[in-house]
Amino acid sequence: MNPRLVLTHAALLFRAIFRTPAFAVPAVVFPAMFYTIFALQFARGSPAMADQVLGSYVAFGIMGVALFQFGVAISAERGRPWERYLRSLPVNAQTRFAARVIVATAFALMAGGLVAVIGALFTPVTFTAAQWLLLALYALAGAIPFVLIGLAIAYLVPPAGALPITNILFLLGAFAGGLFLPPQFLPAFAQRISAYLPMRAYGELLWGIGLPGHGFARWVVVLAVYAIAFGIIGVVAYRRDERVRYA
Amino acid sequence: MNPVITMRDVRKSYGTVEALRSVSFEIERGECVALLGPNGAGKTTALEILLGLRRPDAGEATIDGSVSCTPQSTGFPDSITTVELVAFAAEHYANAADPMATLQVFDLERFANKRVGGLSGGEQRRIALALAFVANADVVVLDEPSSGLDAESRRRLWAQLREGTASRTTLFTTHYLEEAEALATRIIVIERGTIRFDGTPNEFRMRFGMKRVEFTDAEGSRQVLATLDTDEAVRDLVRSGAPFKDLLVSQSSFEEIFLSLTGVS
Repeated sequence: MNPRLVLTHAALLFRAIFRTPAFAVPAVVFPAMFYTIFALQFARGSPAMADQVLGSYVAFGIMGVALFQFGVAISAERGRPWERYLRSLPVNAQTRFAARVIVATAFALMAGGLVAVIGALFTPVTFTAAQWLLLALYALAGAIPFVLIGLAIAYLVPPAGALPITNILFLLGAFAGGLFLPPQFLPAFAQRISAYLPMRAYGELLWGIGLPGHGFARWVVVLAVYAIAFGIIGVVAYRRDERVRYA
Repeated sequence: MNPVITMRDVRKSYGTVEALRSVSFEIERGECVALLGPNGAGKTTALEILLGLRRPDAGEATIDGSVSCTPQSTGFPDSITTVELVAFAAEHYANAADPMATLQVFDLERFANKRVGGLSGGEQRRIALALAFVANADVVVLDEPSSGLDAESRRRLWAQLREGTASRTTLFTTHYLEEAEALATRIIVIERGTIRFDGTPNEFRMRFGMKRVEFTDAEGSRQVLATLDTDEAVRDLVRSGAPFKDLLVSQSSFEEIFLSLTGVS
């Protein structure tokens, strides 16, 4: 992998997304906007509530970046002439993937960071400096299964289908995972499936940062199972797409 | 001398359609080769296999050295500026040219800081050419490079193709016989996946005829295009957006010879 080319590809991809409001605004602004409109008043209720709601919307924002950047964007790009041109350049797939990871991380930090700034300014969040750092680390590491779910969608679903499927998965998953409402307030049917969803596990990972004695292991296992399962599905789908498209 | 480009017994089918049937040729350093044929002949498939964009069913296709190409379709990211795009391509090559100098070659310097999504089809085609030439690669592969270009842009492309030919190997596809004859040191005619002719332009003229598309351009000059595919030539002319009048399509005296050899109608 050539680090200079990683940065070259990352710079082009970042510009392409950042200058396209239809992609950049939903990714960066919507989570903070939803947090401000729907959640801020609850978050002001108590420090514990502030910590949990902040974790929920950081998770929501970063999950969105992961699903849309690796799902919808790759699905749309894989059939385009520009993709064929990129494949003719002397650059390997790992370099291009690393560039996409850098760009997605940058947007994830912007999306999650904007929520964090609003939370820090307008709610009684109790995080110490170390806990803020932990929040960033858990939020990025916990997004890996969603990157892999996105990749599986990208290579399994045609471009026209990737956007609606990702939207449904994203919004319903965030709801049933307890990112909009705490899990105990979810309807009964949603509570039954919630504990098995990666969105719930992701939320629990971040909610636990401010709670001493909160069990992480179970949720890490749930995220790992999803990561392994969708990693395998993604690899199989990618190889199938390569066979068909570039045979 | 070792060949720079080698295709050896390459076969490729799409379902029941045989796109390439045991195609073989070698191209040496410094050659400028036109791969000529009507639409659907297998030209683009041959290039895609050489560029690693498709796998052959059988045979071997290799390029020795760095390679740059011009995509037949553009589809660039809309929000990137022209100079950013060309500089991006240049970053991949050790001996790349200065992006701004390359933009000047293709009369694109005034669009340097404009986003490519706002440019016309003809301007985007010129950017596609700039992407190939900024690389200064050992081998340049161009798929229908004059497609969608106006007369001035075509002249600039031809001038660029004639420059630095000793160190560069060029392989381009075209359905313009005039272009192949004017630029290539060698012409390979492919039709229905089979090579029908491989020789110099002089040898080609001895054996084949051509169709002509004539028109009067905006300056009042009479322009003549020699082509195997007049329908496509007229479509290109219309797509280029350049004004023209007095269009005339005529058949050359060698056409029947070519038809008898290739079976193209």
